Amino acid sequence: MKKLQIAALVVIAGAIAGLLTLTKDITTYDSIASARKKEGRYVHLIARLDKSIPVVYDPIKDPNYLSFQAIDSLGATTKVIYHNAKPAELEHSDRVVLKGQMNGQVFECKEILLKCPSKYKDDPTQQLKNLPNAVSSSN
Amino acid sequence: MQYEGEHLLIGQIGHFLVLLSLVSAIVASISFYKSTQSKELQQAQNWLKLGRISFWMQALTVIAVFVTLYLVIYNHYFEYKYAHQHSKRSLDIQYLMSCFWEGQEGSFMLWAFWQGMLGLVLMRTAREWEAPVMGVISLAQVFLCSFLVGIYFFDIRIGTSPFVLMRNEFPDAPIFKDPSYLLKYLTDGNGLNILLQNYWMVIHPPILFLGFASAIVPFAFAIAGLWKKDFGGWVKPALPWTLFCGGILGLGIMMGAAWAYESLTFGGYWAWDPVENASMVPWLLTVAGLHTMLVYKSTGYSLKASFVFIPLGYLLVLYSTFLTRTGVLGDTSVHSFTGEGNSLYWHLLFMILTFSIITIVLYFVNRKAIPEIKKEESMNSREFWMFVGSLLFFVAASYIIILTSLAFANKLFGTQWAIGQDVEFVYNRVMILVTIVIALLSAITQYYKYKDTTRKYIWSNLFIPTVITLVIAGLISFFGNIDYDKYGIGFLVAIHVALWAAIYSTITNAFYIFKVMKGNLKAAGASISHVGFALMLVGILISSAKKELVSINRTGIAIPGLKDVKGKDENPLENITLIQGVPTEMGRYTVTYEADSAVKKNDRVFFKISFVSNDSTQGNKGKFYVYPNAFLVKGEKGMNLSSNPGAQHYLTHDIFVYITSWLNPDNIKDTASFQRYWVNKGDTVFYSKGYIVVDNILYANKHDNKDLPVVDSAWVSDLKIVSNDGRGYTAQPAYFVTNNQPSVKIDTVFTQNLLLTIGNAKEDKIELGIKESDAVMRYITLKAYLFPYINVLWIGVILMVIGFGVSIFKRIKR
Repeated sequence: MKKLQIAALVVIAGAIAGLLTLTKDITTYDSIASARKKEGRYVHLIARLDKSIPVVYDPIKDPNYLSFQAIDSLGATTKVIYHNAKPAELEHSDRVVLKGQMNGQVFECKEILLKCPSKYKDDPTQQLKNLPNAVSSSN
Repeated sequence: MQYEGEHLLIGQIGHFLVLLSLVSAIVASISFYKSTQSKELQQAQNWLKLGRISFWMQALTVIAVFVTLYLVIYNHYFEYKYAHQHSKRSLDIQYLMSCFWEGQEGSFMLWAFWQGMLGLVLMRTAREWEAPVMGVISLAQVFLCSFLVGIYFFDIRIGTSPFVLMRNEFPDAPIFKDPSYLLKYLTDGNGLNILLQNYWMVIHPPILFLGFASAIVPFAFAIAGLWKKDFGGWVKPALPWTLFCGGILGLGIMMGAAWAYESLTFGGYWAWDPVENASMVPWLLTVAGLHTMLVYKSTGYSLKASFVFIPLGYLLVLYSTFLTRTGVLGDTSVHSFTGEGNSLYWHLLFMILTFSIITIVLYFVNRKAIPEIKKEESMNSREFWMFVGSLLFFVAASYIIILTSLAFANKLFGTQWAIGQDVEFVYNRVMILVTIVIALLSAITQYYKYKDTTRKYIWSNLFIPTVITLVIAGLISFFGNIDYDKYGIGFLVAIHVALWAAIYSTITNAFYIFKVMKGNLKAAGASISHVGFALMLVGILISSAKKELVSINRTGIAIPGLKDVKGKDENPLENITLIQGVPTEMGRYTVTYEADSAVKKNDRVFFKISFVSNDSTQGNKGKFYVYPNAFLVKGEKGMNLSSNPGAQHYLTHDIFVYITSWLNPDNIKDTASFQRYWVNKGDTVFYSKGYIVVDNILYANKHDNKDLPVVDSAWVSDLKIVSNDGRGYTAQPAYFVTNNQPSVKIDTVFTQNLLLTIGNAKEDKIELGIKESDAVMRYITLKAYLFPYINVLWIGVILMVIGFGVSIFKRIKR
């Protein structure tokens, strides 16, 4: 099996090399504070939409400009700018994963993943929330 | 409390059937196990009979459970949680089946159904392998049914029954204090996720699950081989099943890709999403195992490799289910399967561990006894190159599954890793190399014979297809405008090399059918599959490299006269806003938002968008309409948009359009007020974006104009509006008086946000009212893509599946 072993080794070595080159592509999940410390580095921010500050999106002025305030579980906030259309369910999301980098005080976002209650159909706490409320609907 | 209007019997029957199917699966497992272990023939036969009876019982009860749940959904029994969470009254009937696979329980049920059907076929065809193979399948069936039982074992709930009642699940909810809660509050369900309301979603899940379910058959044969210590004998009867799994799983995955292509909005058929990866990896391993099994059957080599690849294929089906169903992927996937919580997590982990341990123990106990040829393969042999190809598939699969498992690793080790900036490229740059080698291997390997081949034979046969390839690939490379340079020249070169290799593989395999096999299609399954696979690669390479964003927005804004600095030439932005009725240039098209449907059937709005080719030679042929649509989903703050792309299909390319934002004019509060000016004919009034000229004022009253039957007097104006960018519009607001009661006809200029009216009038003078308001304007924001030669990919898929079918047919007949 000599030749085959050589072939196997070459292929596996290639795979390891491939995985090693990944190290620069591996990033981390961060809080807003730790993302601030790594200004300019691409990170994944886990946060939610701060509903006290209005979301700015006016497709007439610019369909590729969205800005909102994000707040993380530690209470830190940052302004987020996203050069793309506003995801339809942004206001509904209870959690967002923002991929991008801190740029000064602003988080320049390249991609947004939303976690919406409507998606958590199998999550019992959400299901309970979605139930019609007897008190208010009987009015 | 006595509740009104509930239908409890059907649920009790359903739950009983679930328990019955679990019990009969357990009996079947034990019987088949005993039958396999029995030394005595009569005893083995008796156990086998019992196994068969209980498996039949099992399969039939699963069907009955299926029917029962269907009736619950069909009859809108919303007291049942499954019906309430996954369906609603207004749902079209063809999507009622889709409700099954939206939920966890329905998916497991579908899986158990297919596994039952496959078991029934195996009981008739597996002959001496029946007992051990069915033993493995029955054990898997025990697990699948246990996901559906929902019984408590001490304090732990095992599985989730699809027949649970809402009021039992949420006992604390206030509505259940009311005995007539069902008639008052639970009158409708939550409905089906709108992404699943698509014809692909009716057919893709059943096919995919048939593929997943069929992965157990080769696995069961391999286990049976180890179990009965007939280490090579299982390969031949398992081959058609491995082919079946490869074909159906491949088809199921690509149907999912077609669904993503047509109804997801990330603009493509494949996004390296964890859910997609998780389904592809078992396929890669099954196909790798298929090739090593073929090698073993013809030469005696690669048996141990088959014992690795085939079981791994099935175990990865389980692992994929674990990844996608338990919510461990959480933040990394756009697909929205989420967890049943910890119970399912441990339950699935237990299933994976059980089957892994069985496999590992059996393999290592028998390791020394598995026959192996000491002499190494010749480099001039088919088996050598087939093995290298299989190994490469294995490596590719490992690469994909390791990266896909990052989220799970984070959970295990408490780390925070994620793939960074460009997920797709992380995969693509490795897969392009795999593609090059795999395409070359599949191009030449058939021309090698098993054992040994002379160079002369290979070259005499390969010469012509090689020359043809050089010509065709050369032409495509030089004149095909494949200039995808986003990742630099290195990646572009790799794309071209891969394209040459894929074209080479297409041509050599097609040539092989006609030259070497003399056109005997019945025997050419492998070559047909390889042509299909190579065409898929060609389609993937060309359509990805030449995918075009039509809605390029370099200015940030498409409205004439307004400028925005954010869009830059080197990084064009993807969305364009279209104002109703205003033609807008978009790359090679001029695009107009013509209208939207007033009728909102099921909260769905259709948009009519016209595309006119800027290439004037096409004349009228260059015009077409695209009808993207969007669902309006009720949210906390008004309605939300959930978009569904519209497409125009051509033979050589598709154009895809989807709405990213829509201003529903009904939702806007109009706050602006009219500015009023007294004007004469010829006067000019300015507004914020231009000026308005009063071209004419026509005045008439009953006294000197007998043609005015309805009103007493009328003022009709002719206005010319000139915007700052030089565009001209006209408007005719009017003012009438009848019995001293004034009435007005308002006119609008959508594109200029203008509302024009006449507030008052005196003979040849009118009071012109001008309002500038967002409420006038109807607009949409959209993205548009052009996919070229996507049909090459679909044709490739079809050919590949046909090839698998031809091979199965040939192997069964033998």
